Amino acid sequence: MRRIGNAPKFRSMLAMAGVLSLSVLAVAAAGAARADDIKIGMITPITGPAAEAGRYAQWGAGMAVDEVNAAGGVMGRKITLVIEDDQTTNPGAVTAFSKLSSQPDIPVFIGSIRSTQVHATENDVLKIGKPMFIGGTDPTLTQAGNPWFFRARPNDSYSAKVIADFGVNTLKLKKWAVINSTDAFGTNGSKALIDALKAFEIEPVLVQGYANQAPDFTPVVLAVRQSNADVIGSYFTFEQDLGIFAKQLKQLGVTAPWVGSPSITNATALRLAGPALFGTYGIADFTSDSSPEAKAFATKYLALHKVEADNQSSWTYDAVKLLARAMEDAKSTDPEPVRKAILAIHDYKGLEGTYNFDSKGDGLHGYNVVKNENGKIVFTKHVDFPG
Amino acid sequence: MTIVFQLLFTGLGVGAIYALVALGFVLIYRATNVVNFAQGEFAMLGAFLMVIFFGDLGLPYGLGLVISLIVMAIFGAGFNLVVYYPLRHRPYLPVVISTIGASILMSNGMLALYGPAPQTLPNLLDLPGLLIGGVFLDSQYILIICVTAALVGFQYVFFEKTLLGKKLQATSQDKEMASLLGIPVATMIMITFVYSALLGGLAGMLVAPILFVSIGMGGLISLKAFAASIIGGFGDVAGAVVGGLSLGVIETFGAAYISVPYKDAFAFLVLFAFLLVRPQGIFGERVAQKA
Amino acid sequence: MTTPLLRETTARPSIGQKVPRKFPWGLLLLALAIVTIVIPVVHPFNDYWMGLLRQASTQAIAVMGMVVVLGYAGQINLAQAAFFGIGAYSLGLGTLTLGLPWGVALLLGTLLAAVAGAALGSSTLRLGGHYLAMVTISFQQILTLVLINWISLTRGPDGVSGIPRPSILGLDFKSNGDYLALCLVVLYATGYLVWRLKRTRLGRGMLAVRDNELAAGVVGIDTYRTKVIAFALSSALGGIGGGLFASGYAYISPDQFSFGESVVVLTMALLGGVQSPFGAVLGTGLLILLPEWLRFLKLIYLAVYGAAVILIMVFMPEGIWGALTERVRRMRPPPRIVEGDVPFELGGTPDTGRMAMLEVTNLCKYFGGLKALDGISMAVERGTVHALIGPNGSGKTTTLNLLSGIYRPTAGEIRLDGKQVAGLPPHLLAGAGLGRTFQNIRLFTSMTVLENVEIGGQRPNLVIPGGDAGLRHRALGALSFVGLVDRAGLPVQSLSYGHQRLVEIARALAGNPALLLLDEPAAGLNLTEKQELVELLRRIKAHGLTILLIDHDMNLVEQIADRITVLNFGRRIADGTPQEVLRHPDVIAAYLGEVTDDAAA
Repeated sequence: MRRIGNAPKFRSMLAMAGVLSLSVLAVAAAGAARADDIKIGMITPITGPAAEAGRYAQWGAGMAVDEVNAAGGVMGRKITLVIEDDQTTNPGAVTAFSKLSSQPDIPVFIGSIRSTQVHATENDVLKIGKPMFIGGTDPTLTQAGNPWFFRARPNDSYSAKVIADFGVNTLKLKKWAVINSTDAFGTNGSKALIDALKAFEIEPVLVQGYANQAPDFTPVVLAVRQSNADVIGSYFTFEQDLGIFAKQLKQLGVTAPWVGSPSITNATALRLAGPALFGTYGIADFTSDSSPEAKAFATKYLALHKVEADNQSSWTYDAVKLLARAMEDAKSTDPEPVRKAILAIHDYKGLEGTYNFDSKGDGLHGYNVVKNENGKIVFTKHVDFPG
Repeated sequence: MTIVFQLLFTGLGVGAIYALVALGFVLIYRATNVVNFAQGEFAMLGAFLMVIFFGDLGLPYGLGLVISLIVMAIFGAGFNLVVYYPLRHRPYLPVVISTIGASILMSNGMLALYGPAPQTLPNLLDLPGLLIGGVFLDSQYILIICVTAALVGFQYVFFEKTLLGKKLQATSQDKEMASLLGIPVATMIMITFVYSALLGGLAGMLVAPILFVSIGMGGLISLKAFAASIIGGFGDVAGAVVGGLSLGVIETFGAAYISVPYKDAFAFLVLFAFLLVRPQGIFGERVAQKA
Repeated sequence: MTTPLLRETTARPSIGQKVPRKFPWGLLLLALAIVTIVIPVVHPFNDYWMGLLRQASTQAIAVMGMVVVLGYAGQINLAQAAFFGIGAYSLGLGTLTLGLPWGVALLLGTLLAAVAGAALGSSTLRLGGHYLAMVTISFQQILTLVLINWISLTRGPDGVSGIPRPSILGLDFKSNGDYLALCLVVLYATGYLVWRLKRTRLGRGMLAVRDNELAAGVVGIDTYRTKVIAFALSSALGGIGGGLFASGYAYISPDQFSFGESVVVLTMALLGGVQSPFGAVLGTGLLILLPEWLRFLKLIYLAVYGAAVILIMVFMPEGIWGALTERVRRMRPPPRIVEGDVPFELGGTPDTGRMAMLEVTNLCKYFGGLKALDGISMAVERGTVHALIGPNGSGKTTTLNLLSGIYRPTAGEIRLDGKQVAGLPPHLLAGAGLGRTFQNIRLFTSMTVLENVEIGGQRPNLVIPGGDAGLRHRALGALSFVGLVDRAGLPVQSLSYGHQRLVEIARALAGNPALLLLDEPAAGLNLTEKQELVELLRRIKAHGLTILLIDHDMNLVEQIADRITVLNFGRRIADGTPQEVLRHPDVIAAYLGEVTDDAAA
């Protein structure tokens, strides 16, 4: 252990000064948005493993904001997004939300697409009592009695029902292997899929969880091969995992049809896995061919951002539009009128489907089934479970 | 039986990835007595450089590789100057924290520069892989295993047979003695960092076709590589390779026959048991003899 | 570095010391603490800031644990987030699943964390450095996997939501402001205790273990037990912090307690300064606030944060608090602790009437095939100075290491005042009355001269009346005895080599040993210093202490040794009075063959 000499003394002062001046800068830079605008607080990953998805979410929301403003705004006022990074972590989401919710001039929010992060902010949302659109698809989020959560995507009880329905009724396959991530999204999805299959009196021949971000899936693939399953249902969280699994499935000669949760159809997965995903089915809350609205959005999105649109951007687009419409309908930004106005929305044609809000706050009740035909996502059918 | 061989091959392939990164750990540890927590990020950086030069700029693979490695070498030198060298006389913990800071800086710097999208990098060998008796041998895994073997061979020859290698070895064993013998210790450490950066970068390029290229790929591998180096007895090149390979095999078989979700636990449990039952096996009386 | 100044300010002016009026830092801190606790209660501010402060205060308690285990005891722990998680899950599941009262659940979590820490520590703390790092990482990883996969117990990846906040003694802590106040109260209380710990026997033991584990054992500290306690305390603090955290957020999930979080905790501790609870608070606050301040940088803010971590480590390797206290220490003159000498009692060990203080019979030590010591026998008589000499590699230091318990003998007997002591660990040997110095000085480098000697006085089986003040008095006495009492308040590292040797001897004397082992005490001393050493050894002998001395310096040995034993190649080749031994032909042969080596040494 040596002593700090004289030169470092000066340098350490310099370093401290650096840190201090950075912080001063930071405080100075905070707070700059026009007072007149209606603000929409948005929590999204800017850093961390889901940062790419977060960027798409911002693009989608941003396009909706521009369109609403171009059409005259809400009650004659412009709307703007106030975005905070959730770092793809739970504490990050909580901090980001508390930063937004402590600004009294933000009346409405868009939350995370990740169920755990929505769970993490649940209590604070309840406390502040303002509407929040969420993209997390864990069914319990809206059903646990929080009146302020509204979902701009179909929840997993529908995704599982659609996967099971398509596999059993359309593909006529009965020996299921269920593969899922052991995170909250994957475990709940797999649970829902097992329940949905039970309705067809089918017990899966294999239910296999895996831990996120694994370098290798050989044991999982071999288990699928051993089980002699003739159809695979899956809930993957990260596209890298999906890509590795898909490649190894091909390599080890498993040819059973595969119906995956929405991640199997998104742009990143298609790019990473390439031919390994050809011929698979997926369910998608967003497909460009499913409606004229979706088609128009997809074209515009591709032109603006040079990437194919997917559900990461479509749900935030819908959420912004729905919030704008609800505030316009309510002629208010106060929580309770806006809440009522959202629940009153019926037959609204969004990108993800036609919104009919139920009393719990779920707007959508079905999914599209799509097929990956040589890298192109082709709309196959829409399955709805009204009520 | 084919399943056992399939698992064995995959385990060795995954293990070779751990071993490649572990080699970098071990080299820097031997030269500086510090664990470089940014070693995984060297791999991430190397893979992204390859994506930029080969994928985006469309250079030929060989040229892209050479340029990427040159950049890695420069980066390794810079890393030494900024992250390690100013702290060289300090106890090891501040240095470790400094490397943790570097790993945060590198991954988030790359995020800012290149964006969050995971990228793909095609296989160097555009071969479909081999199918022998029902066992599929992925060409990229074969390549990784071969490169790891070659590097171990190269390292052996380099350290045991060349003058520079011997100087490096002397430096890593006793810096004061080495400098008394007229070996430029600072230069030797610089060479070590450059070499480790090259090694890490190469590892990243090699695993990219399997794991894809993402900001988080470094963290994914480096923890296991760290475990591999410990199993191998930290400081031993052959040990790191044996540690890496056994780790890969253990976790692959553990996943196949015991539990997939607990896969990451097996390696650590084995390590745990090993350290508990036979600590003196690795440790001996070395500590006591310093009295 | 340590904060010796703070220590001196707490000293009682019992020893004729003039205390200048000092700034009442303690009062100021207390006032500050009360103000910060009261503000959120009476005037709650914005939830975002209160949330950040709540996160910082609960996490700072866990970081405080790192101060104990890493800062004080010098043991790495990369699983603090796991202990934090144990506390958080115990509170969440304890209140929700088991229906326990809040306080009981918090206590349960703290206990569970402490037990887990102690178990982990007791199984692996014999290893050190990177092995310990890896074992803690393993524990961390396995715990995360269990939290995710043992769904029936932990509710799996969904996490636990709706964790209640307490009402204690009719006081309700449901609101953010009140709860923050509660967190701050716990933080300040634990912070104070951790700060106090450093000034207790146990705390000094931890510091000694960190500074020099070998020497700590030899002066009578049960190093293993000390480390296990440090680990248990550290994980208990992690558990408390985790429990408060869980209640604060109302929702917890496994990913909040991952390895990455443990690294963050470690970074906080080192950044702030791991030697002090102030550093822990500073580091935690900074690392929670820094990324928040940098949010305006959007995409690159975490990159800037990484760069800031490197910069702080490069320019302030002892952490921010360490750098600050170092600056303050340099500005102030070192405190003078006493004026004039302090009386010292030595040699109070009862005379059992036995002739031999130390009897060694057929002592062997083999390292694998190497016979470092091969059947040595010797006897050291009570009240004499006995020298053990021999060429380099003859087994002298091995003998000393066997006598002081650093090595276990392969075979043979060692009797100290008639008691069989072969194979005992160092601290028990110290307890049996064995004092020792080292050839290459082993002091506790981060401490003051006085603190070094105090540790020598707290060996087992030595009763010093008067508690801490008595211990201090004894240490000052020992320093007076070796003539260094005027240096008592200085950092021990600032002393000259010769004086450091004397401190080491004073440290051994403070423990009032029955037998004093000196390993080449004259090495590196100049002629005057050597003469002073001879005088000192004579004075020690005059107090009736028995001394076993190793040295190369024949002049010194001849001057003071009553009897000499000569070793060569692990065997005894001569034994007798100096006159007999130095004329022994084997001895002459052994030394003539050694002349060049000796000159080089």
